Amino acid sequence: MLDTIKRFFGDKKSGEVAKKRMQIVLLHDRLSISPEMLESIKNDILQVLSRYMEIDDRTIKVSIEKGENYAALVSNVQVKRVYRHVQQPSTESS
Amino acid sequence: MPGTTIVVTSGKGGVGKTTTVANLGTALAMRGRSVVMVDADIGLRNLDVVMGLENRIVYNLVDIIEGRCRTEQAMIRDRKLNSLFLIPAAQTREKDAVHPDQMKELCEKLQQDFDYVLVDCPAGIERGFRNAVAGAQKAIVVTTPEVSAIRDADRVIGLLEAELMKDIQLIINRLNHKMVKRGDMMSTEDICSLLAIPLVGVIPESEEVVVSTNRGIPLVHEKRSSVAGAFRRIAARLEGEQVPIPADNAEEGGILSRFKRLIWSS
Repeated sequence: MLDTIKRFFGDKKSGEVAKKRMQIVLLHDRLSISPEMLESIKNDILQVLSRYMEIDDRTIKVSIEKGENYAALVSNVQVKRVYRHVQQPSTESS
Repeated sequence: MPGTTIVVTSGKGGVGKTTTVANLGTALAMRGRSVVMVDADIGLRNLDVVMGLENRIVYNLVDIIEGRCRTEQAMIRDRKLNSLFLIPAAQTREKDAVHPDQMKELCEKLQQDFDYVLVDCPAGIERGFRNAVAGAQKAIVVTTPEVSAIRDADRVIGLLEAELMKDIQLIINRLNHKMVKRGDMMSTEDICSLLAIPLVGVIPESEEVVVSTNRGIPLVHEKRSSVAGAFRRIAARLEGEQVPIPADNAEEGGILSRFKRLIWSS
């Protein structure tokens, strides 16, 4: 009986299957980030990028993408111009 | 020096929180510590039956909070150990009857008189959970090697960290060594790598636990039991002793004790 079940679910040991599944489930659970934190990530990304290029900060989008076997943080932003040198962060607060 | 309040929690129900509180409380008291166990599962009280103290209840946790009795009046002394006490949960009230601030105040008061205050947390992550956690400096998260229990444990760990709990430790309950060996159960190592908090002990799966709860006598009293040994070692670790945690494939207790068990069981 047990052998039949094993054949049905494939050869992998069930303990290993459970571990692999939990790695993805917990990753997804922990990525349930609040909108405030996502907003804060967005602002930080803008700040870092703006040292290297001029960007249209109204176009930036940050989201979490969850697939069957992965999770990704996806960010898109329109670049206007790339600086020749790294801009040092300005001391004055803008 | 004031004592320590430890909350025992899990998220998912039925993984062995109450059994853990009963056995750890008993093990710590056997080491000569003064211990009070608080059943914070209001409306679903259980720690009293597991401890075999259900016939002695007069007052409960909500009676203390609402000022109907003094704290000492609601404390029930254990049948075997003089330094072990239980404050039972109310059976007929709602979880809202207690506020986290009141729970914190009670724990602070109890810590003045006891080395350990062990809080048995209800399942779930609502009001009852916040009440149970409010007064604690340490948390023990109990899980079993099953996906549902592990997922809920991870959620609870996240909530504890959000409440700025610094000291969170893991107990893996009902580990079946045979199943781990043949690859049909997540191992201690697997679970630790998933949950990423320090491990304080592993309790083997055993029918003895049901027998001891049937009788209302915590299993730690049973000297030869492997479960009892595991709980006694956790108690020692909680007290800062360096007791190694046996590997999953290690035979519990070595050849000699297995031989003894063989004789006793025949």
